[in-house]
Amino acid sequence: MAEIKAPMGGKVIKVSVNVGDSIAEDDEVAVLEAMKMEMPILSEEDGTVAEVKVEAGQTVEAEQVLVVLN
Amino acid sequence: MAGVPVTTKEKIEDLKQRDAAAQLGGGEKRIEAQHAKGKMTARERIEALLDKDTFEEFDRFVVHRCNDFGMEKNKIPGDGVVTGHGKINGRQVFVFSQDFTVFGGSLSGPFGEKVCKVMDLAVKAGAPMIGLNDSGGARIQEGVVSLGSYGEIFRRNVLSSGVVPQISAIMGPCAGGAVYSPAITDFIFMVDQTSYMHITGPAVIKSVTGEEVTSEDVGGAKVHNNKSGVAQFMAKSDEECLEQIRTLLSYLPSNWEEKPPEKHTGDPASRLSPELDEFIPDSPKMPYNMKKLIKTVVDTGSFFEVAKGWGKNMITAFARFGGMSVGIVANNPMQLAGCLDIDASRKCSRFVRFCDAFNIPVVTFVDVPGFLPGLQQEYGGIITHGSKVIYAYCEATVPLVTVITRKAYGGAYDVMGSKHHGADINFAYPTAEVAVMGPEGAVNIVFRKELAAAEDKASAYEELVSEYRSKFASPYRAAELGYIDEIILPSQTRGKVIRALEALKNKRTFRPVRRHGNVPL
Repeated sequence: MAEIKAPMGGKVIKVSVNVGDSIAEDDEVAVLEAMKMEMPILSEEDGTVAEVKVEAGQTVEAEQVLVVLN
Repeated sequence: MAGVPVTTKEKIEDLKQRDAAAQLGGGEKRIEAQHAKGKMTARERIEALLDKDTFEEFDRFVVHRCNDFGMEKNKIPGDGVVTGHGKINGRQVFVFSQDFTVFGGSLSGPFGEKVCKVMDLAVKAGAPMIGLNDSGGARIQEGVVSLGSYGEIFRRNVLSSGVVPQISAIMGPCAGGAVYSPAITDFIFMVDQTSYMHITGPAVIKSVTGEEVTSEDVGGAKVHNNKSGVAQFMAKSDEECLEQIRTLLSYLPSNWEEKPPEKHTGDPASRLSPELDEFIPDSPKMPYNMKKLIKTVVDTGSFFEVAKGWGKNMITAFARFGGMSVGIVANNPMQLAGCLDIDASRKCSRFVRFCDAFNIPVVTFVDVPGFLPGLQQEYGGIITHGSKVIYAYCEATVPLVTVITRKAYGGAYDVMGSKHHGADINFAYPTAEVAVMGPEGAVNIVFRKELAAAEDKASAYEELVSEYRSKFASPYRAAELGYIDEIILPSQTRGKVIRALEALKNKRTFRPVRRHGNVPL
């Protein structure tokens, strides 16, 4: 299980994956907006999406888990 | 007496035998064990590091003087470290290489004296000092003598700092007090999986906190390259590590009085980069690949990144412009929105101070929305760490050239190589936004009353934001004030920077007389 976390606090403006999707390293899993910048959140490894913990529009804190991979 | 050489021929034979014995270090078995771990021996490393047949060794026959714990019966020529000098790409360097096959590379009094001897010579000769570390630490049998030796080395590291480049490679254990010598040097290289650095190891951690961890968890190459920032370079093997050191040195002068060597690649200064005119995204919210931009404008193939895995929102690298060696500092909009934070500030300030110490001009690419907000940053002392960046730029006397590609907001504008901090030539792209704060925030403050009174608040807000953006979120206000020397087309970046660096080649500045400044460490 690998957790993909928010690198900084901000607003989730897009969730790019669904549970069950298989993704590769560097695939975008979500987009975060902070400091008036859009930040693609990339997976650091290959895997299958086990859980999506956030939805678009939600505010998250730094280190908050966004997506869990199998 | 049999065996004692009498004739000249015998004496010559005797020396050859002694030399051959010293070459073996701790003996065949230990050499095999070293190889089995995927590590080269101390001598193999020196050979791979230096140009072929250039190594000249000192103190091959030094042995320890310890008579306790039966050590008097156990002496090995060289005593655990190979020292001397040689060349890298034809340029003089001094080197020591700790020999793990001899007493685990542990440090004795004479071991320390050997290291100090080459360190002193490096300074006298004005040549870089390279230390290859692979040691179990202090030689316990030597007692406090070993501590004295460490102290002598640390003091020399400090006194050599800024005189000659000091480079450390960690190619095995480096634990306890031993870590502080590399820590004072300019750059630390680590070999992944076979090296570690820590103050207290797994055994101590377990006895104190009960946590079970490995040396790799506490201080492996990944930890120090990606988490702590202690190391700046990581290699997959000894060979790759030594090759990286050779590459790094190609950008550096041999000492503080020299200029870095020029190396022309045939990439013309006049080369335009038309692709850059379409590179910065239309939306100020969209990130882009700053490393790609930099690689496009520097001499082809000359980008050598420093501390790639740590403080990724700040890019530091050595590169060349028209053959001239430069230090590159750049915000990275792909990481943490390109904000300045504690790690980025520490990374940038130490890099700029290194460049300044060794006559390497600094070229800064700016796209910074501001400092990273948050309690973690404030409690961690971002005020102190951020001020290091100011200190480093203001103190620098090397040529400073700055290119604002996009955002330069608030205090971060000042910090990132601004005119006010002593930068010599400042460029901006037409996409630059140099302002005290972003339009969204500024409108809320400046037009608070108007917004409160407006009937349709949303549309009033939009209108004011767009008005503010067109007036202030551009490079033109700063250009009117002379804070920007020229607004350039992105495609012209390479030529503009090269001509700026050429203009500044003989830059000289004077500083007030004092003992020394007080960097906010």
